[in-house]
Amino acid sequence: MARAGDGRGPCSAAGEQPLNQQQQQQQGTSQVYPERLAEGRPQQGLFSRFLTHNQKCQLMLLKTLETNPYVKLLLDAMKHSGCAVNKERHFSCEDCNGNVSGGFDASSSQIVLCQNNICNQAHMNRVVTHELIHAFDHCRAHVNWFTNVRHLACSEVRAANLSGECSLVNEIFRLHFGLKRHHQTCVRDRAILSILAVRNISKEVAEKAVDEVFESCFNDHEPFGRIPHNQTYARYAHRDFQNRDRYYSNI
Amino acid sequence: MADSGGWRPPRPCETYRAEWEFCRSARHFLHHYYVHGKRPACEQWLRDLASCRDWEERRTAEAQRSLCESEQARVQAARKHTLVWALRQSPPADWHLPLPQEKDK
Repeated sequence: MARAGDGRGPCSAAGEQPLNQQQQQQQGTSQVYPERLAEGRPQQGLFSRFLTHNQKCQLMLLKTLETNPYVKLLLDAMKHSGCAVNKERHFSCEDCNGNVSGGFDASSSQIVLCQNNICNQAHMNRVVTHELIHAFDHCRAHVNWFTNVRHLACSEVRAANLSGECSLVNEIFRLHFGLKRHHQTCVRDRAILSILAVRNISKEVAEKAVDEVFESCFNDHEPFGRIPHNQTYARYAHRDFQNRDRYYSNI
Repeated sequence: MADSGGWRPPRPCETYRAEWEFCRSARHFLHHYYVHGKRPACEQWLRDLASCRDWEERRTAEAQRSLCESEQARVQAARKHTLVWALRQSPPADWHLPLPQEKDK
């Protein structure tokens, strides 16, 4: 459920670290999101230097929710499924350990945004899209996030596939050069990274789970109906979603 | 499929035209090759556009049948893989509940 970071430090410009150097052996949710289990929220007056990160996170989140076509489709789809999203209730900007960008906390039905690791609007757009896909899966299906690694793997495959994070341009920026079917390689690799970020399991177990569910989950494009490679695809998908009543009543 | 009296094409004809042109674009060719390793097949969108326009002009049963079959095939193709999980009948009961620390206040 956590979205593995791009290997950069907090808002740095370094390239992605190779897999064997990534600090992905997190011990669990509590060590990634330390504020989640703290007793009460920290007093804002004592942590004033974090207000800047928090305010920036809140502003970028608001812009994403209001303007990004991937997110607007997901919000509509979730409302249609009975899970209307409330910004104050379902999103939380927090400091996180490691280089994780965000996560979906199924126990509280809340999306965590790592305000110390999300540094620009495009990154915020991708993180919110990624986590909303997890939230959408949680809303429409019985996903055993904590007890079934195949379920977790499926949602991570879908999130990597449909969030735009494996677009050709993003992969080139990560210095991953490939063209023919490279999208699938990226989706597989990033799904494995995301699983390892939130589960204390071996890379082999994560790989096995992803490989077992890949064909089914890679081809599950709900609610987009297609793989949205960029905002144009996302707008077409949103148009189709808004037309669904006419569509299904006439086929 | 609804009765012919109340039936209309599943999508506006303009949508079929837009999908066909988008499918044929160089950008989509690149994206499709990047995902699937082969060129996209766009001919069905053109056939659907022709059927849609035929329906608008002449209301033929053939146009209606052709469009329905085409869209049913798209839906079947999208649903052919067995889901990993079971779908819910209703949303999670705790989705709208207050956060645990807010409930304790």
